[in-house]
Amino acid sequence: MEHIRVITISRQLGSLGWEIASATASNLGFQFYWREVLNKAAQRSSSPEAALAAIDELGLLGICPSPKICLAYRQAIEQVMFELANIGNVVILGRAGQAVLRNRRDALHIRLVSSIQTRAERISCRHNISLESALAQIEASDRYRRNYLKRHYQVCWDDPTLYDLTISTERLSIESAVAIISQAAGNTQELPETTHQAPQE
Amino acid sequence: MYSSNKKLKQFAHPAEEEFAKILDFYGIEWVYEPRTFPLEFDEQGNILEAFTPDFYLPQQDLYVELTTLKTTLATHKNRKMRRMKELYPDINIKLFKRREMNNLMVKYGLDRSGDSTLNTNNQAE
Repeated sequence: MEHIRVITISRQLGSLGWEIASATASNLGFQFYWREVLNKAAQRSSSPEAALAAIDELGLLGICPSPKICLAYRQAIEQVMFELANIGNVVILGRAGQAVLRNRRDALHIRLVSSIQTRAERISCRHNISLESALAQIEASDRYRRNYLKRHYQVCWDDPTLYDLTISTERLSIESAVAIISQAAGNTQELPETTHQAPQE
Repeated sequence: MYSSNKKLKQFAHPAEEEFAKILDFYGIEWVYEPRTFPLEFDEQGNILEAFTPDFYLPQQDLYVELTTLKTTLATHKNRKMRRMKELYPDINIKLFKRREMNNLMVKYGLDRSGDSTLNTNNQAE
């Protein structure tokens, strides 16, 4: 049995993703990677503006790198992710890790969700802004992240088969979510290469 | 000077303050006008012309110069940018043509200066 060596976490804005990802890494003794993936890729592809464009999911910076730069940058992101996964014992937050590393058998793919109302309240409280502004941010963020998956990997962000585990943080605490992910990481067996034949249902 | 000290800084142009606010919102470290690059010298080696980019983003190793969409100003800055790239080819620098962002900033609640919207990191979520 081989333990999970890579955890990817996909999250909705306002679903406590960063907190849960970093706490999970700490709990498991893994390294946590988030912006570092973007910045390493930017250095490697010599396209720092592409990193800014990737961060700018609300479109406030108005950066539009050329398709050639975007492609080089995305390929660099994937390369960085594969390298991190090969090193192992890593938690990678965002950047379509669930799609990039979907064929790795030592990877556990997590999705974090909450209701739009709860997410808006969290964002509103965190940034001291109106609920209306928080909702606008959430809509823009969801659209950006959904489009990123669709455009580059031809998958639907909401497709449950992309994830080994989806956790609603609507009522669960950060600690509970971390415990669930940690338990899943410790108990997940690597599947054999042969295709599993499920009994007819 | 990094974003954590932003409120102490007086910006030369409102667009720069707006840009800094966006960088803070995304949790991007920045330094305001940290370095001046000489561009032209006289025969005695005195600096005749220099260029001070508005921002430096250390995490991206990128200098940023903001400009409006006014053609005359953009032409002038484009010339300086070309000269920069000739003299300092290893320096990453980008000219950002700023569109009117006020409506978007109001929509997303970033329009209020000096409040707790600053120094937060939206993408951490």
